[in-house]
Amino acid sequence: MSIAGKKIGRYLFALFLIFSMNFIIPRAMPGDPLTNLLGEDVALTDSTVELLRSEMGLDKPWSEQYIDYWWGILHLDLGYSYHLHSAVSTILLSRIKWTLMLSLPSVVLGALLGTFMGALAGWKRRSARRKMEASSFLMIYCTPPFFLSLMCLYIFSFRLGLFPLKGFYSTGSPIDIIHHLLLPVLVMTLFSSSRNYMIMRGSVLQEKCNLYAAFARAKGLYDEEILFRHIFKNALLPIITMLALDFGFIFSGALFIEIVFSMDGMGNLIYDALMSRDYPVLQGSFLIITVMVVSANLLADILYGHLDPRVSRY
Amino acid sequence: MRRDLYQMASALLLCFLILGTAVQAAGDSSGTTLKIGTPSTVKSASILGDTNMGVFAHLSNPTLMKMTSDGKVVGLTAKSAEVSEDGKTWRFLIKDDLFWSDGEKLTPEDVKFTFDYLAKNDPAADWMSTTIESISIDNGAVVFKLNKPYSRLSLEFATYPILDKRLWENIEKPIEYTNEGEMPGFGPFYIAKTDLGAGVIYFKKNPYWKGTQPKFDSIEIHTYSNIDVLSLALQKGDVDAYYKYGWMSYPYASIQRLKDTGNFDFVETDNTGMIFLGMNLKNEPMSDLSFRKAVSYALNYSEMLKLDALGYGQVPNAGFVPPSMAYFKETPRLEYNLTKAKEILADAGYKDSNGDGILEGKDGKDIKLNFLARTDYPRVNELVIGYLKDLGIECDEKSVDSSTWIKQKDAYGYDLTITRSTPWGMLMHANWGTGYFDSRRTGAGVLHVLDDPAFQKLCDDIMASTSDSQLEDYAAEVQDYYAENLPGIALYWNKVETPYNKAFDGWYSDPLYGIFNVDNFLSVEKTG
Repeated sequence: MSIAGKKIGRYLFALFLIFSMNFIIPRAMPGDPLTNLLGEDVALTDSTVELLRSEMGLDKPWSEQYIDYWWGILHLDLGYSYHLHSAVSTILLSRIKWTLMLSLPSVVLGALLGTFMGALAGWKRRSARRKMEASSFLMIYCTPPFFLSLMCLYIFSFRLGLFPLKGFYSTGSPIDIIHHLLLPVLVMTLFSSSRNYMIMRGSVLQEKCNLYAAFARAKGLYDEEILFRHIFKNALLPIITMLALDFGFIFSGALFIEIVFSMDGMGNLIYDALMSRDYPVLQGSFLIITVMVVSANLLADILYGHLDPRVSRY
Repeated sequence: MRRDLYQMASALLLCFLILGTAVQAAGDSSGTTLKIGTPSTVKSASILGDTNMGVFAHLSNPTLMKMTSDGKVVGLTAKSAEVSEDGKTWRFLIKDDLFWSDGEKLTPEDVKFTFDYLAKNDPAADWMSTTIESISIDNGAVVFKLNKPYSRLSLEFATYPILDKRLWENIEKPIEYTNEGEMPGFGPFYIAKTDLGAGVIYFKKNPYWKGTQPKFDSIEIHTYSNIDVLSLALQKGDVDAYYKYGWMSYPYASIQRLKDTGNFDFVETDNTGMIFLGMNLKNEPMSDLSFRKAVSYALNYSEMLKLDALGYGQVPNAGFVPPSMAYFKETPRLEYNLTKAKEILADAGYKDSNGDGILEGKDGKDIKLNFLARTDYPRVNELVIGYLKDLGIECDEKSVDSSTWIKQKDAYGYDLTITRSTPWGMLMHANWGTGYFDSRRTGAGVLHVLDDPAFQKLCDDIMASTSDSQLEDYAAEVQDYYAENLPGIALYWNKVETPYNKAFDGWYSDPLYGIFNVDNFLSVEKTG
């Protein structure tokens, strides 16, 4: 079998395995979607409980539920959420739209900013400016996301009144949406860029000690040419792995940001579904994240092959 | 080139800041809108399927009855309510000046339809199908014939919104029905829009409302996922008041900050719900009254009140039921006396014979209790475990989320737990918190640990009684029963603090839904 065929087989097997885990894990938790369906003040009679269990398909044995689960996936039917009163696909589509607006710009901006600045910081690590820059990024990287988000919200929204305190929008106009998203996107960009900055800085520091860098300098190339024409490409490999993960989890949302900025994105959706044992929503969300993670890994595999041909041999 | 890049970035940032300020300024249109901020987030626009949405919808779809600030149940959609001597026939005369927001009159037929419909289709109202024999209309009144006396019908009817027959008769599964757009209402306001993305429920004034005119054209409910941000929103003026159902009070630790601004006042009421120590009476040694009494003496109530509620409340009585409930009876105040607690245990045969600091049970083994801790109450969990340790009882703490807690306590997989009662929880079943203890009720937040026939008979008597004086006697009996048998121990009775901007006045709160009641929104007005 060819290498490409083996890889595809490996990915398909991984998908099957993870999809099966997505079915098992929610059911392994104590309770089920009916446990807290109507709140703590409502006590249901046994007959009503039985009726609801049967409507939700919870009275069937696991084996039957598992077959139904695969039948749904193969027919692109993700089921119905009794907690959110809607088809799971509808819920996911509406949340993904907003989550993407929140996550995509920060992943892209964080990647560009962190990689570029990290490369420069690794190249000229002794300059006072780069040292200060590195300390600042390290500080951001070490700050708990919840705390930094609250601090930014306090300063820019509450004290300076530049941004709203919550939600994806108020009126729904494009400017209003941008206005609401700007601060959370900036905070997420800060986190993403600080992480990429630290990785890229370390990677460049390691690469620049190699012989090929010394050879390029001996050839009489300028600093920026050595960095961006030779070192950058080789130093990029660990960043590509991180970016593949970022893109993989782009639909999983950013729970802390969503909680601080009161945004109903995928992070909040998954958290609530976990708390209420909403199996269909959990399965649907995990399914999308799985597909994204596996696809992003496949893409990273291909990119790695291009950047470092040695990888293609394995 | 790099300098150009920096200049471009600075210009871009400046543009964003200007845009931010401009959009913010454009949004500052106060008008005559009252804005309520709440941490009770709405997950779906389903007035029968989403608990919080259901509470908010009481403004557009009022209930048949309501609770007054002193805990009495009186008519809201109903003009009056009468019950037959045998407690089996209830007659609710419907007001004739109520109109839906599209101009159609609310009829007794709508009320009849609501309860027929809920009994048939709403799982939360399944008790109706086993209690109500028939519903009929007689001279503008809706008459309920029951198959057994049920004194609490009027109170139950203070929680279900009256539905528009024209809309709901075509909806087969009410808890699955969602509508983010306009919904006709016959209250002083109706739901104009539910915007889940913005986290706002918009109410507009019902143009056909004939009663006392509200002082606002619209009301907005703003939901916040984070309580700290909600506090900032209050201070900033984004919202005018705070509301939360269930554990209704504004966080005590944030009160001073609001007071310091000088812009806020508080509606202060006694909470009908509370945090309490629940015991699995089916297990030893919790089934032993002496043990429960010793535990009650081992808890430092003042300290818990001070540390967990920052002093906003009082040390509770052994009678469990808080003073905000109707027919409250003064029972002995719970007392912290560790020496006495140890004496009671020693007298009852619990001794530390091997000197390891842990008492042995009657079976001779060390007492190690399974403490099922809800993550909602970390501080009191820690305190109570500490007090029990001082008494010589070791606890194995298992910290769980809400769903796991329900599952575990339904399977009696615990010895001790700390949980809370909500205002409605205290009123449900036979009132006065009985719903939490009667073993015939299972599921949700109830402990169902009391199968004492005397207690269950008392519950049945309460539910069958329609005489106020008799109910008062029964209420006293229930509280005496709690005080003597300690099936649950209240940890403190707290105050509900509801902050509101001083620019508004006339706030009115009831023990069931706090400030979220029709009378409040007719009474509040802007003063500043």
